[in-house]
Amino acid sequence: MSLLQVKDLNKSYQTDTKVLKNINFSAGTGEFLSVIGPSGAGKSTLLRCINRLVQADKGEILFGGQDLLKLRKKELRAARTNIGMIFQHYNLVPRLTVIENVLHGRFGYKSTLQGVLGRFSEEEKERAFYLLEKLGIEAHAYKRCDQLSGGQQQRVGICRALIQNPKLILCDEPIASLDPHSSKVIMDHLKSISEEMGITCIVNLHQVEVAQSYSDRIIGLNNGSIVFDGSNFQLDQLYIKRVYGMETRELITV
Amino acid sequence: MDSVYLKRDKAGRINIKAGNRVNSVINWTVLSLTLLTVTAFLFFDYTGLEIGRAIMETAVNLRTMFLQPSLNHFSWGEALFQVGVTISLAVIATILGAVIAFFLALWSAVNLANKWVSKSIKIFVAFIRAVPTVLWVLIFAIAAGLGSEAAILGMLFHSIAYLVKAFSEAFEEVDKGMLEALRSTGSGWWHTIVHAVLPSTSTYLLSWTFLRFEINFSVAVAMGAAAGAGGIGFELFMASGFYFDLREVGFITYAILLVAIVLEVASTHLKKRYFSS
Repeated sequence: MSLLQVKDLNKSYQTDTKVLKNINFSAGTGEFLSVIGPSGAGKSTLLRCINRLVQADKGEILFGGQDLLKLRKKELRAARTNIGMIFQHYNLVPRLTVIENVLHGRFGYKSTLQGVLGRFSEEEKERAFYLLEKLGIEAHAYKRCDQLSGGQQQRVGICRALIQNPKLILCDEPIASLDPHSSKVIMDHLKSISEEMGITCIVNLHQVEVAQSYSDRIIGLNNGSIVFDGSNFQLDQLYIKRVYGMETRELITV
Repeated sequence: MDSVYLKRDKAGRINIKAGNRVNSVINWTVLSLTLLTVTAFLFFDYTGLEIGRAIMETAVNLRTMFLQPSLNHFSWGEALFQVGVTISLAVIATILGAVIAFFLALWSAVNLANKWVSKSIKIFVAFIRAVPTVLWVLIFAIAAGLGSEAAILGMLFHSIAYLVKAFSEAFEEVDKGMLEALRSTGSGWWHTIVHAVLPSTSTYLLSWTFLRFEINFSVAVAMGAAAGAGGIGFELFMASGFYFDLREVGFITYAILLVAIVLEVASTHLKKRYFSS
């Protein structure tokens, strides 16, 4: 039984241009799934449709047995606690400390008043420190986020997603603004999250070789449609051409 | 052969400025305003004006006012008290205004609130801002009578309108990604406001409030005279309009100037000390 099932998903921002056309795929528990494709192919929109930061027009998204597209406000908030998200630009609150930013991941479990007052239990704080330690940035816990490097900020982002206790983590180009070494650190962390903790990861990537070396499965998106869906070794020259519209030797793949 | 996008003027030289029509409208406006100014001087009524004497007497008045200031109708202590009254008027109007404006601004920032709620608040607030503070004070004076109540209500009204615009623009500058990230964790609206919007905009909110406080202080001086709200403004009105006491007018002007400088120094100092990032 797969954790996430997307059926006939359609989305258009303007009436005549479709960003997503009849998307169908599923993801199992603990699977590491990469989504590749040129800019404007609809990768980010696809990810945002899953946790409804973007409202899809048509289709079904079955997550743990319920259709996310039919949920109301309160149910949606509850469902979102099970779905973490990591962003290209980290999207932390720059003026707050690292630990505060990590604890933001717990708001989904809080009532309005608890959250506004910033009441966090000792267990939650301990868990936050445990996660920071696991990602190797516990020394920065009381620093303001704008003092951290990009790689460190992205690790804070991962902690914020993990403290939600999610079943699924969506990563929107997590390494697109990082240097090669930080990129490797982040990808290794994401890989270990899916393997050790059994959390499904759906990762948007620009780097084909990174996708091939880390993923269990790759989805190729071009112009709003899935043109490839298979394991990483099945993605050969022919499919890469179908995804990007040109030969591999014309691309920078690393 | 020129490319399609290249533009030349009549003499055949290449234009490097876009929007020729805008430039010519500006030129014509400046030209006609200059002509109007010059012709206006030809049509003034100059009977009874002796320019030499007028300048001399103004200079004498100004000298009495600013070089020989003194207090004749009230004491130093009273003067201090009246300045305190004026400052209190400004403080009340600013603080109440800032608190109310904060909530209204949340609902009028397009990235945080419903589109229609935001639009209607913005239109309403623009209407309030279009009417000068003095007029609002006089309008409230109908209900509350001339005095400090009407003055505070009027100043409060205008402060709210001004700060709603300033605050909501600060909120709209907040990084969209940050709001998205919090929403994706399942946070509610108030969580996002308190833990993302507020920390990232607090310096702007405070500096706008300070600015409005400075404005409110000078408005409170004027209201003392215009609406009988009391304070140093009222004493200024009495000294100039009732006693024709130029020395006292000078003294009060200096007192107001001093307070304004102190406020300015204090606010820059506070900003430097607490809000430097």
